[in-house]
Amino acid sequence: MTREITYIEAVAEAIDEEMDRDDDVILFGEDVEDFGGNFGETAGLHEKYDDDRVRNTPLAEIGIAGMALGAAVGGIRPVAELQFADFAATAGDEIFNQIPKQPYVSGGSLEVPLTIFAPSGAGIGAGAQHSQSVHSWLGNVPGWVVVTATTPYDAKGLLKSAIRDDNPVFYLPHKALVETQGEVPDEEYTLPLGEAVVEEEGEDVTVVATQVMFHRAKEAAADLDVNVELINPRTFAPLDTETIAESVEKTGRLVVVDETVERYGTQSHIANEIVENHFFSFDAPPKTIGVKDVPIPVSPTLETEVIPGTERIKAGIESVF
Amino acid sequence: MTHDVSVDDEMAKHLLQEMLRIKIFEEETKARYEEGEIPGFVHLDRGHEGSHAGMAAAMRDDDWLAVGGARLVGQYIVKGVPLGEIMAELYGRTGGSNKGHGGQMHVSKVDRKLYGHAATIGSGQNPAVGLALAEEMKGTDNVAVTTIGDGGTSRGSFHTALIFAAYWDLPVVFIIENNGWAISTPSESLPPDRLSDYGDPVNIPTESIDGSDVETVYHTVSEAIDRARDGGGPTVIESRVARLNPHFEGDKETYRDEEELERALEEKDPVKNYRERVLEAGVVSESEIEDIIDTIEREVQEAVEYARESPDPEPEAAYEHVYKTPLYGQGEQE
Ligand SMILES: Cc1ncc(C[n+]2csc(CCOP(=O)(O)OP(=O)(O)O)c2C)c(N)n1
Repeated sequence: MTREITYIEAVAEAIDEEMDRDDDVILFGEDVEDFGGNFGETAGLHEKYDDDRVRNTPLAEIGIAGMALGAAVGGIRPVAELQFADFAATAGDEIFNQIPKQPYVSGGSLEVPLTIFAPSGAGIGAGAQHSQSVHSWLGNVPGWVVVTATTPYDAKGLLKSAIRDDNPVFYLPHKALVETQGEVPDEEYTLPLGEAVVEEEGEDVTVVATQVMFHRAKEAAADLDVNVELINPRTFAPLDTETIAESVEKTGRLVVVDETVERYGTQSHIANEIVENHFFSFDAPPKTIGVKDVPIPVSPTLETEVIPGTERIKAGIESVF
Repeated sequence: MTHDVSVDDEMAKHLLQEMLRIKIFEEETKARYEEGEIPGFVHLDRGHEGSHAGMAAAMRDDDWLAVGGARLVGQYIVKGVPLGEIMAELYGRTGGSNKGHGGQMHVSKVDRKLYGHAATIGSGQNPAVGLALAEEMKGTDNVAVTTIGDGGTSRGSFHTALIFAAYWDLPVVFIIENNGWAISTPSESLPPDRLSDYGDPVNIPTESIDGSDVETVYHTVSEAIDRARDGGGPTVIESRVARLNPHFEGDKETYRDEEELERALEEKDPVKNYRERVLEAGVVSESEIEDIIDTIEREVQEAVEYARESPDPEPEAAYEHVYKTPLYGQGEQE
């Protein structure tokens, strides 16, 4: 059986179920207690699990990320919230140098089973420091498992897996999706990390997209006279190139669209993986589409210009034929 | 409780006028936001008007302001950014101070020595120290003032800025606007008794004042600025105010005690209190205040008209200002 819930309700359920299941799971971050998180993601948890396991922190992401690292090494499973993914940069050393590298440099003896929860993405007019999609920053630092959520189903299943995984996982919901509805099973479930999913089968072209771009790609595909195979990577690092390659072997065409900046971005990495290893599967050069190489402006007109829209995705798909 | 007016009549009128300007501008902003004319977030300043006005009155035009905390627009106003340019920036229009690239959280205006704001709370203080360094290197006696909220003082970047300013005795005035809350986190739960105590371990002089009293702010900041200008180095001031509105428009403030808020509205409204005080002292009359309000309301309406009529940027404008071109060596420099 399934029911319709919102994306953010799915997130809240995931945290709740994992806290219920495992006493070692704790939650901390700014305004996670009675305020319930900026988007309602932690609503009700403080009441249910109390001060020990749900903790408001002072305003300092270095503390949030660094403490999560220590607590995880010490045997706890922290879910640590950054209010906006952009703020990862304010804990730069913790997030880029410490968390992803300590397990490796310890020769595998330190385990860091933490989850950073960090809403990302544009579309709410929040400007240059509150609108970025940062999975390309994180994907560039080996050691992080980088996960994005596209539907309520993904949001719940992937977050539960992120919490259970023994690696540091950076989990990125998208701000503009929090109110979207979708089917979620009544029964408990998890979704595998490190695996992409073919969301819609097609014969003519493979389109890889996640989060808001996934929904726009779906709209674009519906408007076009071609049969699109739509792949949601779910995990960006490590990336499941196999599922994408298999698809391209079938379709001979690839379009990658993502809400990260184009320059040195996820799109070109994904395309390169397939081109380099499966060059002879291609009937046409691949196409990559991403955020234009500028900081995200606040004016809705300018924001719309730089974030890939359905029209740009449509044109991108058409360009490979 | 009555207080005498401790500044001359002209300054008293100026302070009242600046506070009213913030209040009236923001009432209009709230209305425009609710009508869907303003995109993004809106954070309002109710309760901070005295702190903003007193601070700015203590500054010279050539002193820098690096804005912090989340009570921003009042600070842009008192630093002299034209109201139309602020409103147009809130609308994301070409006539805005930042041509629609920045929005409410990033208004900046170099010719007013307004550095702007780091929307990552607490990232504006080290730049303020750098601004002070630049002034010193250029041989001016200009200072840098920087504000931060109670919440932002937990960031390491804030403490680093104190250390750097103290290390070189730079002319910086750090003003912590402690309004009791960082969204839902009470500042009472932070360790120090007074947030200005954070200056103690680095031997910076500190003050903790009632920031809802505009004259107290004016006098305290003036003293700190004078010291900085004379080579006496940085000061940390805690300006205690009340947050008389939600964190952002839309925040239901379920975490807040209603009685406490009622009391704050009654006792800590800087505009209402100062208005009564100058009236009682006979500095201005009721009708003069009404005239001031009329004038400001007109200015604010003009600002809204200006914003509404200001064109949306052309989409191509998104690509401007990423770099200054040509890069060195690529062609004629400007
Ligand atoms: C580095 C960073 N962390 C978190 C936030 C989200 N946020 C915006 S305002 C705010 C509270 C700020 O409180 P305070 O510094 O006391 O300023 P006030 O709102 O009281 O003016 C928070 C947590 C942010 N913008 N930047």
